[in-house]
Amino acid sequence: MLLRASGVTQNRDYDLTAVTSVAEGDAGVPHGRPLLRFAEAVLGEDDAVLANVRAELMEVLHPQGLVDAAAVVGLFNAIDRVADATGIPLEAEKAEASADFRAALGLDRFAVGARG
Amino acid sequence: MTELYASAPVPIRNDLAAAHARAWKRIGGPGTWWDGAQRVAIAAETRHAPSCALCRQRKEALSPAAVEGRHDRIGDLPEIVVEVVHCVRTDPGRLTERWFRGIISAGLSEEQYVEAVSIVAHVVAIDTMARGLGIAPLPLPQPEPGPPSRYRPPAAKPGGAWVAWLEPADLTDREAGIYPEGRPSANIMKAMSLVPNEVRSFFDVVSHQYQGPLAMRDFSREYRAISHAQIELLAARVSALNQCLY
Repeated sequence: MLLRASGVTQNRDYDLTAVTSVAEGDAGVPHGRPLLRFAEAVLGEDDAVLANVRAELMEVLHPQGLVDAAAVVGLFNAIDRVADATGIPLEAEKAEASADFRAALGLDRFAVGARG
Repeated sequence: MTELYASAPVPIRNDLAAAHARAWKRIGGPGTWWDGAQRVAIAAETRHAPSCALCRQRKEALSPAAVEGRHDRIGDLPEIVVEVVHCVRTDPGRLTERWFRGIISAGLSEEQYVEAVSIVAHVVAIDTMARGLGIAPLPLPQPEPGPPSRYRPPAAKPGGAWVAWLEPADLTDREAGIYPEGRPSANIMKAMSLVPNEVRSFFDVVSHQYQGPLAMRDFSREYRAISHAQIELLAARVSALNQCLY
């Protein structure tokens, strides 16, 4: 949801569908494609793929950008686990603000309450 | 760059390295419901979980609950703790309230559960970053002696989550500062508030590995070497891969 908020304040319209599918585009975010591929590679198991995309990111974002990208991927890989393991719901205001794109992207199937 | 990442091939921000050093020290020390040795054992089991055969079979199954067996383990934590650590580490997107209630019925307290989840989260955050950078995971901390404090916030009560939590209005002096002031507390912060020290510890890592609560929503300037949009794109993709709506 903060991606959308960032787009509103920057007067940019980011393509949120890139978030839920295999990275084909850049979502309208600078260097979005290698960033998406980096997130997938870090969470994946193919070390060679990760090494390649890491080198690509290092080239375009430089070492500090790579560190910050790796830090964010790591942090959200953890935050997701806290959210899933404690069964927290989406806050009412966030649920309301994100209802349209959750429906469009089919994200509600991931809701804790939707699990059997 | 602090000693922790002295040999890293890319420079790690000092504030980030220091936050990891603090987190590692806390993991090795006595917690609220687990002692230092148990906390380090939970951290070690977190690292071991991806190679557990039962976890791999469950991950590939249509329904993880349909696959029975015993976890491959490396220490002597009780089986119920290993179940929590492995499931939260390897298949968090398919955890259910029914599974959680089963864990509690089997004898783990909600407080022990929350603290174990927090340790898993600390290790996942730091180890995943290391994988992204192509550096070896940090050696686990040495356990420190001492008993757990066994402090349960008196006002913790059932809220919107599976576990009890603390509302901001119910904080006492012993829980002061666990929530940011001047804005509503996100549920992700309330999630671990049954063990206030774990909120403090985990969100210390959050502030340095991601952004603090003010920087997160201040789109007028950038606080990191990548932009807000790039940060949130990564966050959203990771959550989608983990099938996490939150």
